[in-house]
Amino acid sequence: MFRRFSATPYLFLAPALLLIAVFVVYPIGAVVFYSFTTWDIVRPPVLTGFSNYTALVSDPTFWKALTHSIIYLIVTPTIIALSVVLAIVVNRKLRGINIFRALYFVPAVSGSIAIGIAWRFLFERTGFINSLLETLGIIQTPIQWLSNPNTILPIAMLLTIWAGVGYYSVIFVAGLQNIPEELYDAALIDGCNNLQKHWHVSLPGIRPQIVFVAVISSLAALKVFDEIYVLTGRTGGVLDSATTIVFYLWQQAFVNERAGYAAAIAIVLLALTLAFSILNVRFLERGQERP
Amino acid sequence: MAGARLGAGAAGAVAEVGRPPLELAAHRRPRLRARQVAENIGWYLILSLIALITIFPFLWIVMTSLKGPQDLLFSTPPQLFPAHPSLAAYSTVLAALPIPKFFLNSIVASSLTTVFNVLVSALAAYPLAKMRFRFREPIFYLLLATLIVPIQLTFIPSYLLARFFGYYDSLPAIIWPSLASAFNIFLMRQAFRGVPDELIDAARVDGAGDWRIWWQIAVPLVRPTIATVAIFTFVTSWNDFLWPSLMLPTTVNKTLPVGLAALQSYFSSDFRSIAAGVTMTVIPILIFFVALQRYFVRGLGGALKG
Repeated sequence: MFRRFSATPYLFLAPALLLIAVFVVYPIGAVVFYSFTTWDIVRPPVLTGFSNYTALVSDPTFWKALTHSIIYLIVTPTIIALSVVLAIVVNRKLRGINIFRALYFVPAVSGSIAIGIAWRFLFERTGFINSLLETLGIIQTPIQWLSNPNTILPIAMLLTIWAGVGYYSVIFVAGLQNIPEELYDAALIDGCNNLQKHWHVSLPGIRPQIVFVAVISSLAALKVFDEIYVLTGRTGGVLDSATTIVFYLWQQAFVNERAGYAAAIAIVLLALTLAFSILNVRFLERGQERP
Repeated sequence: MAGARLGAGAAGAVAEVGRPPLELAAHRRPRLRARQVAENIGWYLILSLIALITIFPFLWIVMTSLKGPQDLLFSTPPQLFPAHPSLAAYSTVLAALPIPKFFLNSIVASSLTTVFNVLVSALAAYPLAKMRFRFREPIFYLLLATLIVPIQLTFIPSYLLARFFGYYDSLPAIIWPSLASAFNIFLMRQAFRGVPDELIDAARVDGAGDWRIWWQIAVPLVRPTIATVAIFTFVTSWNDFLWPSLMLPTTVNKTLPVGLAALQSYFSSDFRSIAAGVTMTVIPILIFFVALQRYFVRGLGGALKG
């Protein structure tokens, strides 16, 4: 098909491309450059070669942050399992079911800062959880959930899971509703019980949604910041016990004013996300067999 | 996405047709109904338990905010309802921090972001879906690639850009960088692909140019997607924290989430006031959500297809 050149499509695209060039493409290039400099944002950057990267390799806090971010990925399979179960539970005809579905969605729209503060109220030394546990006689003295290096990261992960399940289950409900009822009837005739029918029909039926949620929620987990910021009160936890990659990036750039060093952390984050996305794409392609 | 919704409707119809044969066995009905009632009660118990887990932190916050000075915050057993309710915490917060200003800032920033983001996305998505031109594929894949880039990566250079453009510590600082979203362009492109070519050709025969076809034919047809994209953009922008917290150091310029975080450090151990602040900021977004709930559900459900 032969066509004369027309500027129109490019004019349609121009605003978006311009914005992306200024706010995404240029910053990536700039970050690569800054990662090879020593720089405090105020004075001009000084090229120092690979010094930031060599410093990173021998920085125990960086390794801690990296480990925490990878541990954080446990939220993804947990979220998928719980939200699939929740989707199956709410995907039935009951009077008022929409009210319940709306309630489960509330944490997702409330904003991470608000729900983070709400969770602080539960886990403070004088919070609800300690009060409950003391009443039940499980503990005698209040536990310092938020300043204990062993509990702070799991609590942050629990918060992410709690806030995510209602949100992601909506995606699974939509998937479940596209599964033809006949498949379930056939499964029942073949002798499946109620649980088995979900295993053999529901799960394969929502495979595309599972892959989608896996991608979205794992990328979000790699970039977790808000929960850590609120729950640890901007500190990253005692002994950096809840510091994640993005939190460390923020801390180095905007608290310690080591922007060059933070840029190197950003490059590691980019590499990590790229590697992860490639893995995810492989996974997606394997799931393509089913339309 | 229109196709996706049709698909869901068809599945619903199948579900309704598929049910009756089982219930035709009339003599089993009474027992079935008794069992059904028992089963439903079981489901309601499970649903309520999950709802309690979901809602409890908010309930606790609201109740804490209403506790008067004589009410204990920590006690065994835990005291949920205030015995001496008081609105003192609310007046303390309103006196100390400009919560209405935070609101106004959030509304202005989120609305402008949403309007222009949708406009930019709808413009960019149209040629990617409906026009043939030389660099269509490379541009599309470039856009997709930016989806992978963690936005936090760009914060350091964007910080400098904000100073360069002179909008540091003002709302444009958080509006400009969020005007283009590859994800929204992607969703809109999927929707535009569903616009029949015959309609576009017919309009062209009638003498309409590309811009008019876009505005008068294509855009009205993808309105459901626009609504979804707009609402998600709005909520994302409304709840955005990290970037606004870097850009808006002055109290009166803060948006709600940034103001909330400030509130938390301002009232460090005055839990009643913090709780009052959280309550005041969460309730409006909840009203917004309840009013537009069906768009949320449809948007999330449709995100995968179309």
